[in-house]
Amino acid sequence: MLRIKNTFKKILCAGLAAVTALSMTLTVSAAEPYKSYIYDFWGDPIPSQNAYRIDKTVTGYDMGLSRLSDPTDPLFIGEKASSRLSNAKDMYFDPDEKEFWIADTDNNRILRLDEELKVIGAYTGVTDGGNFASPTGVYVKRSLYEPNPLYIYIADYENSRVVKASVESETELKLVQEYTRPETDLYTVETFNPSKVVADFAENVYVVCTSVNQGAVQFNRAGKFQGYYGANRVEVTASVIAQKLWRKFASNEQISGMKRNVPVEYANFDIDEGGFIYTVTEAANATTDAVKKLNPAGYNVWNNNAGDNYVFGDMASEYDPTQNQTYTTRLTDICISDNGLINVLDFSTGRVFQYDRNAELLCIFGTKNSTNDQRGSFSNPNAVEAYNNNIYVIDGSKNDITIYSETTFGSLMHEAIELYDQGRYSEAKPIWENVLARDGGYPMAYMGLGKAAMNEGEYNKALDYFETAYEQKSYDKAFKYARNDFIEANFNTIVTVCVVLIVWMIVVSKLHKRGKYVIKGRFGKKSRKGGR
Amino acid sequence: MYEFTPIGWLKHCIFHPVEGFEDLRWKKQGSMRISLTIVFFLFVAMVADHQMTGFQFNQNYVKIFNVVPLVVQSVVYYFTWCVGNWSICTLLEGEGTFRKICIYSAYSLVPYIVCTLIKVLLSNFLVQEEAIWITALTYLGFGWSIVLMIQAMRACHQYSFTKTLISMLLTLIAMLLILFLAILLLSLFQQVYVFVYQIYTEIAYRIRG
Repeated sequence: MLRIKNTFKKILCAGLAAVTALSMTLTVSAAEPYKSYIYDFWGDPIPSQNAYRIDKTVTGYDMGLSRLSDPTDPLFIGEKASSRLSNAKDMYFDPDEKEFWIADTDNNRILRLDEELKVIGAYTGVTDGGNFASPTGVYVKRSLYEPNPLYIYIADYENSRVVKASVESETELKLVQEYTRPETDLYTVETFNPSKVVADFAENVYVVCTSVNQGAVQFNRAGKFQGYYGANRVEVTASVIAQKLWRKFASNEQISGMKRNVPVEYANFDIDEGGFIYTVTEAANATTDAVKKLNPAGYNVWNNNAGDNYVFGDMASEYDPTQNQTYTTRLTDICISDNGLINVLDFSTGRVFQYDRNAELLCIFGTKNSTNDQRGSFSNPNAVEAYNNNIYVIDGSKNDITIYSETTFGSLMHEAIELYDQGRYSEAKPIWENVLARDGGYPMAYMGLGKAAMNEGEYNKALDYFETAYEQKSYDKAFKYARNDFIEANFNTIVTVCVVLIVWMIVVSKLHKRGKYVIKGRFGKKSRKGGR
Repeated sequence: MYEFTPIGWLKHCIFHPVEGFEDLRWKKQGSMRISLTIVFFLFVAMVADHQMTGFQFNQNYVKIFNVVPLVVQSVVYYFTWCVGNWSICTLLEGEGTFRKICIYSAYSLVPYIVCTLIKVLLSNFLVQEEAIWITALTYLGFGWSIVLMIQAMRACHQYSFTKTLISMLLTLIAMLLILFLAILLLSLFQQVYVFVYQIYTEIAYRIRG
């Protein structure tokens, strides 16, 4: 009997131990080296789900850049061609050809990669045009004019020129047009150092030049200087106002000695399918014109002076105790993905801020801080691109490309945003509910659910959602309908109460005139005592 | 001439901006108890305006509710006004006593309080298209109270119109000075407290060894 009991105990113990051991197995997961957050209505950071996770990093070796120094390879460009990137300043994704283009600045070459980021072309110069010297910007677009050649635009920084060339083969570019410093009185700067370049459908070329603060330099198709495009404005600070006052009293000599208040030039731009040009300004804590959406006339569509409140980047500067450094937002690159989402890259914190078409913040990912040896954190993030729901960030110091892919939360959120932006609120409703199940504090989800409820006529529900999202304008609209419903439903009661009140007041005033009081004492006109 | 209850006197003052306070002074009326109630209601109106305004009109930071700024904006400002006005007008040969200043000032705040409360109530029924009513009420309450305040101070100190304005302006400056000194005093006492506390800690450590 005792024995049986012991065996039973042993078995029980072993079983329990097994269960405990199994339940203690570690679930290994590579967490992102940062905490995901988003801003609420008040501009306070609130925790959020990761919309992107780090998929992988791709170095020059992974791209197959060693082929460039292999004489037997068709991509051979030189014995000493480096097999790694070096301080790459720009990256462009060509959505038509599904190819990436990288301005490999310190290696003085342009790289062409397929969608898997394998090298399929390398260019060190153009035929009849010499070699590149520190190319810092690249843009590629197939021409709409017959016979539709593939044109590449390169900001050839050290050579002080912008090159427009047609892509002939894997290693050959043919010069089409060279844009150099405009010889006109309008162009006042001595140098012409193009850093970034884009072109529109009519093949007008827009060039961001270092130390040109009147806007982008614009050339037409024939290469003629057209003027400046979309200048920034001067940020109004206390010192700017003070100087404006001093100028009123100062003599001409004193004025000539004063600092001039000029706007900050913008750092980078991108062009979307509709021909709108989006610019970013890299000045630390720029609040004026930090991100602009310019129409073809150069007018900023996202104009806060028109009564809107567009905010980009981080709200406040951030102190990192491990590095004893304060980071303030410096937006360095912007990318409009094919689904209309806007990705803005912050150089100083290494964060990518993603916005929808209406500049509503969707998610924030990426980091810099003290952990830049880790995957997914950056040292010199230079450019951001988007393709196939992935985000690509190129780092000029780590010399690699980091690929972020969507999480389930991210893909749901993007799906819902797509429907939301098209105004299909009811279709987005189940998706938003799914998003909320993953992140109960996601402001856009409440906006979406609120609009869906409003569309379906459930105004009181919509009011709840809008209050949670703190969206006063939409709340106001819903409130108007809710109020109408309430009045319609309770019309009889309201009228009865009003009539009773009016009759009561008339009766009371008639009685007062006859000297009778319904309520006697303190609140009547005369009390029995009559004052103090 | 007039025989009113204390509340009746209040009503008389509010609806007769020109003569009301003169009558009040002539009849030696006005109740301190009612004045303090009015100041309390000023505070209540401020809280209501901060917390109970309709969602579509509320521009305040409602995420955190802190009552201290509201107390300062109502009760503290009121008493600073009274003290400041009393100190200025004593120097400027005003006839009002401190009690009178308190009572007259409080009485003239009533339109502002009433309009604010009505505004809060209305903001829960109106939409932004009809915001003009809210704005109108704000201006009405404010303007009426200012007119009353000028009349109250004039009657209280028996000043001419210009002198009243000048004395009120000086009162504002005096308020600033008082508040500045109060904050200074507060921070100084805080430093003294920290100093004493440090000495105490030091001694405590030494005694313990």
